[in-house]
Amino acid sequence: MTNLFQNNVVSTFPDITKIDFIKINKKYLKVILLNISLYFLLLLIGLILWDIYFLNEQIPNQKIYIYLCLILVFLFLYTVFIIGFSKRKYAVREKDISYKSGILFKKTTTVPYNRVQHIEIDQGPFSRIFKLAAISVYTAGDSSDDLKISGILKEDAIQIKEFISNKIDG
Amino acid sequence: MGNTTDFKHFTKQSKKGILVIYINLLYKVFKAIWVLLFLFIQKFSKISEDKLVYIYGFIAFILLFFLIRAYLIFKNFQFKIDKEYFVLKQGIFKKTNTEIPFDRIQNINFKQNIIQQIINVHEVNIETAGSTKAEISIKALAFNDAKALKNAITIYDKKETIVEKVTKEKPFLKIGFLELLKVSLTENHLQSLLLLFAVLVGFFQQINDLFDGLGQKETIDKYISENTSALETSVFLIVGFLILLTITAVLSSVVRVVFKHFNLTVYIKNNALEIYQGLTTKKSVILKRNKIQHITIATNPIKKILGISFITFKQAISGKVAGKKQKDKIIRIVGCKTEQINQIKKLLAIHTQLEEIPFQKSNKYLKIRNYIRSLFFFIPLNLLFYFGMEEYNAFWINILVIPMYLISVHFFYKKRIFKFSEDVLCIGFGILETHNTYLPFYKVQNIKLKQTIFQERKNVADLIFQTASGKLKIPCIDLEKAMFIYNYTLFKVESSTKSWM
Repeated sequence: MTNLFQNNVVSTFPDITKIDFIKINKKYLKVILLNISLYFLLLLIGLILWDIYFLNEQIPNQKIYIYLCLILVFLFLYTVFIIGFSKRKYAVREKDISYKSGILFKKTTTVPYNRVQHIEIDQGPFSRIFKLAAISVYTAGDSSDDLKISGILKEDAIQIKEFISNKIDG
Repeated sequence: MGNTTDFKHFTKQSKKGILVIYINLLYKVFKAIWVLLFLFIQKFSKISEDKLVYIYGFIAFILLFFLIRAYLIFKNFQFKIDKEYFVLKQGIFKKTNTEIPFDRIQNINFKQNIIQQIINVHEVNIETAGSTKAEISIKALAFNDAKALKNAITIYDKKETIVEKVTKEKPFLKIGFLELLKVSLTENHLQSLLLLFAVLVGFFQQINDLFDGLGQKETIDKYISENTSALETSVFLIVGFLILLTITAVLSSVVRVVFKHFNLTVYIKNNALEIYQGLTTKKSVILKRNKIQHITIATNPIKKILGISFITFKQAISGKVAGKKQKDKIIRIVGCKTEQINQIKKLLAIHTQLEEIPFQKSNKYLKIRNYIRSLFFFIPLNLLFYFGMEEYNAFWINILVIPMYLISVHFFYKKRIFKFSEDVLCIGFGILETHNTYLPFYKVQNIKLKQTIFQERKNVADLIFQTASGKLKIPCIDLEKAMFIYNYTLFKVESSTKSWM
């Protein structure tokens, strides 16, 4: 199938398999775990309240299973995120930016700079504690599904943003 | 033309616009409350006369209120052209000022619904692309004014300074009524039926909600259950129902196609397609060549015998527009012959050499995955039959459904193909119909490679191309091929200097 292109191969032909991806900042794992724990706590409190006010004597035996379920779900989430964390990698190249993630569902996305519409940097409350930030790169069309890299140092994010902005304007 | 309007100062719409806005407002109100109105008319005789006076008064008040509102909307809707900007101010209480630079304007389309046709005014829609929220609709302009406005805006478009004053040009495509009938009879009637069904369900939902609110749901349920039990007892009724369904399906396709594509005429001028179509709502659209993101050429077995296909053009949309507007940007022309398809391909620089390249298939895993997925449907279904029903007759459904499913999967896999030349990617898909989407590589916005843990074991991956008008997917191809296309697409996008819009 490659016959057609052999005369076009340029020396700078970008090859996604040959570049070195950088892992995101290790501190971001703490942010993720904090976030999950927060959800866990909220759900737990909700469940306890529900338990006290509504469940009183209706199903006393099954109560324990509901708690067990919640704990199991969150244990599973913790494992998935901890294992998956090492798979979150990004790469900034001369002409595009890439991000890959996932263990059960692997995903690699690349956005060429000459299609970028705008770039955003945002910081969640936990990320702010660790001086981390997320950078989102938007392209035209249905931009809900573009590239977002969470968990890089804020200085790095700003640098990347400026680097890409320069590329777009230049 | 001898036009006095130059749009240098703030201009209002044609005075007839009040009527158009008024009817539009009333229509919206009617759509919201028609069910109530229906109930009201039913109980009309029971209302005493002195109360009736109040009701008439109320209706008159509503009518007057909206007339004033329409007038105020009309009065406050003013636009002008200032240097290279289209400036619009509107709003009764909350005034908004919109300024659109000409180079942001994607399209200027004319439209005429039935009222606008009667009073002979044109609706002018100014479409913009990108992240701006502005989509402007001027409800009523006389044809000359509309044309003048369009010229005033497009004349600044320096790339197209060639004056297009060639009148009486031969249309590139013209579909007469008989041909349109041929097109509509060979439509995918199943799809038409589903569309009709969706409309009816929405309709029914509205009635149901109302009765629900009034606590009369039981009467309807009872009515339905009485009728369905009658249906079950009579085979004749079922057969009759099926025949009726078929007729409805065909009829709804015919109506849908005729209304939408009546008198379809297409011209090619200055690297743009001019499309005119519609019966009750006449639409004219100008599709500029470089605004088209990708096209899909589709046909089905019967249409193939007749040698006709339809072409769908997709333009860039901004991320924020709602579903209805997105649909507006999909433009379809029907009844194209091979010759016309070739011309359109030529216009969009899809070289004929692409035709000679053989298609490549997805990995067999795609087929196997669909078979495996079907187990998750059929096993619970049969378990349900086994435990949930007293009679075992229900199992006969399997004899009908399973072969249908297997055949569908077979065609689904067979038609899921792709190929690419130096510049263009072609993706084929469909079950009954055959769709071929042509996407020039440089229109790609970003690219994704996805792999589930199962796909990883088989060494296959999904490729997803994000364009300015939606996603395109090649599922389950060998990882090596996927990587090659991934890299090649990036190379084409990054080395391209052409503007994608």
